[in-house]
Amino acid sequence: MTLKLADPVVVPGGADARRDDVSRAGIGSGITIENVTKRYGAFVAADRICLDIQPGEFVTLLGPSGSGKTTLLNLLAGFQRVDGGEIRVDGKPIQNVPVHKRGFGMVFQSYALFPNMTVAQNVGFPMRMAGISRADSDRRVAETLGMMQLSDSAAKMPSEMSGGQQQRVAIARSIVMRPKVVLMDEPLSALDRRLRESIQMEIRDLHRTIGSTFLFVTHDQSEALTMSDRIAVMDAGRIIQVDRPETIYRQPCNRFVAGFVGESNLIDAEIVRREGAALVLRTKTGHLFRSPAPDEVSGRNVTVLVRPERLILSDVPGQESIPARVKSALFLGEILRIEVTLDSGETLLVRCSDSAGQTLPTPGSTVHVSWGMSDGWVLA
Amino acid sequence: MTQMDTHQGNPGVTPARSLSERLKDPALLLIPAFAFLGFMYLLPLIDLMQTSVEGDPWWADLQRVLSVPLYFDSLVRTMNIALTVALLCALIGYPAALLIQRTKGITQVLVAMAIILPYFIAILIRTYAWMVLLGRNGPINKFAVWIGAFDEPVGLLFNRGSVLLGMTAVLLPIMVLSIYSSLSRLDPALVRAAMANGAGPLAAFWRVLLPLTLPGVGAGFLLVFVQALGFFITPSLLGGPGDMMFAMHITQQADSITGEGFLQALAVVLLVLTLIVVAVAGRFLGFEFIWGGERKAPMPKARETLDRPKPSRGGVKEALADRAGWPLLRWLGALNARWGEWTVRVLAICVIATLVLPIVVVMIISFSKASYLTFPPTEYSLRWYEKFFSDRNWMSAFWNSLFIALMSAGISVTLGATAAMGIVRSSIRGKSTLMLLLVSPIIVPPVVLGLSLYSLFLKFDMVGTYWGLAAAHSIGGIPIVVVIVAAALQGVDRRLEQGAAVHGASPLTVFRKVTLPAIAPGLGAAVFFAFLHSFDELVLTLFLSSPRMKTLPLMLWGDINYQLNPVLAVVSTLEVLLVVGGIILARPVFARARADT
Repeated sequence: MTLKLADPVVVPGGADARRDDVSRAGIGSGITIENVTKRYGAFVAADRICLDIQPGEFVTLLGPSGSGKTTLLNLLAGFQRVDGGEIRVDGKPIQNVPVHKRGFGMVFQSYALFPNMTVAQNVGFPMRMAGISRADSDRRVAETLGMMQLSDSAAKMPSEMSGGQQQRVAIARSIVMRPKVVLMDEPLSALDRRLRESIQMEIRDLHRTIGSTFLFVTHDQSEALTMSDRIAVMDAGRIIQVDRPETIYRQPCNRFVAGFVGESNLIDAEIVRREGAALVLRTKTGHLFRSPAPDEVSGRNVTVLVRPERLILSDVPGQESIPARVKSALFLGEILRIEVTLDSGETLLVRCSDSAGQTLPTPGSTVHVSWGMSDGWVLA
Repeated sequence: MTQMDTHQGNPGVTPARSLSERLKDPALLLIPAFAFLGFMYLLPLIDLMQTSVEGDPWWADLQRVLSVPLYFDSLVRTMNIALTVALLCALIGYPAALLIQRTKGITQVLVAMAIILPYFIAILIRTYAWMVLLGRNGPINKFAVWIGAFDEPVGLLFNRGSVLLGMTAVLLPIMVLSIYSSLSRLDPALVRAAMANGAGPLAAFWRVLLPLTLPGVGAGFLLVFVQALGFFITPSLLGGPGDMMFAMHITQQADSITGEGFLQALAVVLLVLTLIVVAVAGRFLGFEFIWGGERKAPMPKARETLDRPKPSRGGVKEALADRAGWPLLRWLGALNARWGEWTVRVLAICVIATLVLPIVVVMIISFSKASYLTFPPTEYSLRWYEKFFSDRNWMSAFWNSLFIALMSAGISVTLGATAAMGIVRSSIRGKSTLMLLLVSPIIVPPVVLGLSLYSLFLKFDMVGTYWGLAAAHSIGGIPIVVVIVAAALQGVDRRLEQGAAVHGASPLTVFRKVTLPAIAPGLGAAVFFAFLHSFDELVLTLFLSSPRMKTLPLMLWGDINYQLNPVLAVVSTLEVLLVVGGIILARPVFARARADT
């Protein structure tokens, strides 16, 4: 089953292909994941996963821990063997290609820098393994360190650097070969927020510069929204929804995605009638409102998602507004975070941006909640 | 508790303290252990050194030791054997450690048990097992004749090969544990990172795994080397006349009382050699290697000057690596990845077989009916068990050993646990020096210790007494207890104790309700190992017992030297059952200890 020396299989981005790639910017590979399954005993870590990744795309696997996102990444890297299904890179199956010949770049959560080597030696390691001449490799290492603003640190040992700097080195190591595919396994989760945000931008820019296909794993939804071309939301070993960040946020396919990505208000409602492209719905409190109709609706009862920033609070009742009681009101700086309770007992979260002269509503007071027709999203 | 913390917080400031406060200083807990070791261990060793330089001029006896070819040659031979054994252990210990790390679940437990269990079985018994295995009627000869490799049984025993084999098998667990502890501290992502960056299994091992575990290999190497230097039992039983190791000369001379001073000079030479090796090793590795600790500060500063390549170096080393090293690693990376996996597996299984097989063979032979050693036994019976349990000499030796071991375990745990408390909890200066002193009996060759204790025992008329032997065995028992209990104490979360104190618990209640339950698994293990240490102790006992007071190992030793009969196999089997039983009984405790860390 393993790759023999004389095997005619040409490994995309493998040792031979790498040599040619060094001089020019790589162009990412397309990856096809088809019905991939991975079991640990009775536990199914990846359940018939299908995912098509375009060449040069930045795709994020997003999900809670245990959802199978790291398993999928490990299957792609080759640390684990696929139990069923197939993974193809540029159309060629890679199951039987050993890890070290897949030619991917990889960044680990724990940085995984070799503590016995300097920064330059760490970044040069893949070049040594690929047999690139010392002169070419030194030049490329210097260039890559420059891209990551690490030129001054080339002679340092990893243990002398901060976490953020270490992860920069790890990123430099993963792209030094200009691989066709770069895999990143929660690379920023050990860093503090400010650092995380600045490295997010760097990774984003890097992706644009070198043009490789990036597959990024995270459990942080805001990270996924900021960085990705597309997000694959995972849960319990399956991909629930794959789409562009704004689609995932605005039009989640079910309650799980709606709840996992961003904050959400889920309002139970009953369908009264259809009016062209809109549905007229009735809340538990008996109020009527309109929402765009989804492609298909089954049954009379639906759940409507309204993001907290789409809700409008007013002191006076308006058309289609619902009276509510203020439960709590917090001032968070640029925004106000207000919780209100409907007569039905449902609690809604409202976020509105701060403006001069705005006062926080007092808990217990009555307000009127409303939202625009296009702000509600009916979950199938 | 809180008061102690303030002292830890600012060690520079020592406010005047009342007497009662000073009596609460945990550093006082170190006194009993140091008083005991000072009297039983340091004083006799100093006395030994003094006697060795009482000649005229003072170096006369030492000079004699080094100028007599018999002893000088033996010294060279001893170093030679110790070095070879340490190398062999490193070579075959690494795959075994890798196998423990790479297996999972029940397989891992079994592999680890197969390697670690023999470590707790007496050296005497493991050596005896090899005598059985390699003997003329032993299974190896039988098998070789059966397949036609030998025409008739060959003498496999009493040569350099059997000494090396036996010593390597006896000392291998130390090496495996040392390498494994180093491996298990590594981030598993490092090997993955190497592989993801194009390194084949061998390249990942050579460039990443090996350099990073080198301290563990070094520590294991030195522990094995130092212990091998003072080895006595295995070379005595497995070696021929040409394989006399230095410790054997000391016991031989002790029997045929030559002049005072010369004997001591022999011991001092062995002791000094050991101490030099330990001192040099400690310079590079940190003395923590003796008790399996990790040097606290990693040494990036030291590397700075060593490793940092200058931008335009292009040295010979680098050129060589570029021309030969890296291409070779790349070429090997092209080999089938399964090869590496299988090499590790096959080597490790061989290692486990050499560790476990002798013990299994001895257990089977104990049920033999024949009155000589032959494997496989032609008929089975329990006659040798009956013989053991009905023989007055064996039974009295057994009870003697049991009493002494219980007493010794009591002394070791009392003194060792208080000392561990004092080390971990006090803010005393020079902690590592104190720790080094406490655990140093591990590295002193037992023959030297036995000789030095002999004159002390004569002076105070302790030869052949229960208390005397129990106390002597505690010299080696205390380090075991200190290491285990100190590790357990370090694992206790101080905030739990502080939490209890804040809620009104007195220091004693805090200890009883919080600290003691947390270190109980460690204490239990310490008692067990201190007991085993004394129960198995032979070399000190050889020097310190009287003809009327025999212990089980002493009886075994006598019988192995004069009549190899299956009663020995019975005793060995019972000892193995004791160790296995002890570990199985303690398993829930160990499991809890592991879950805590």
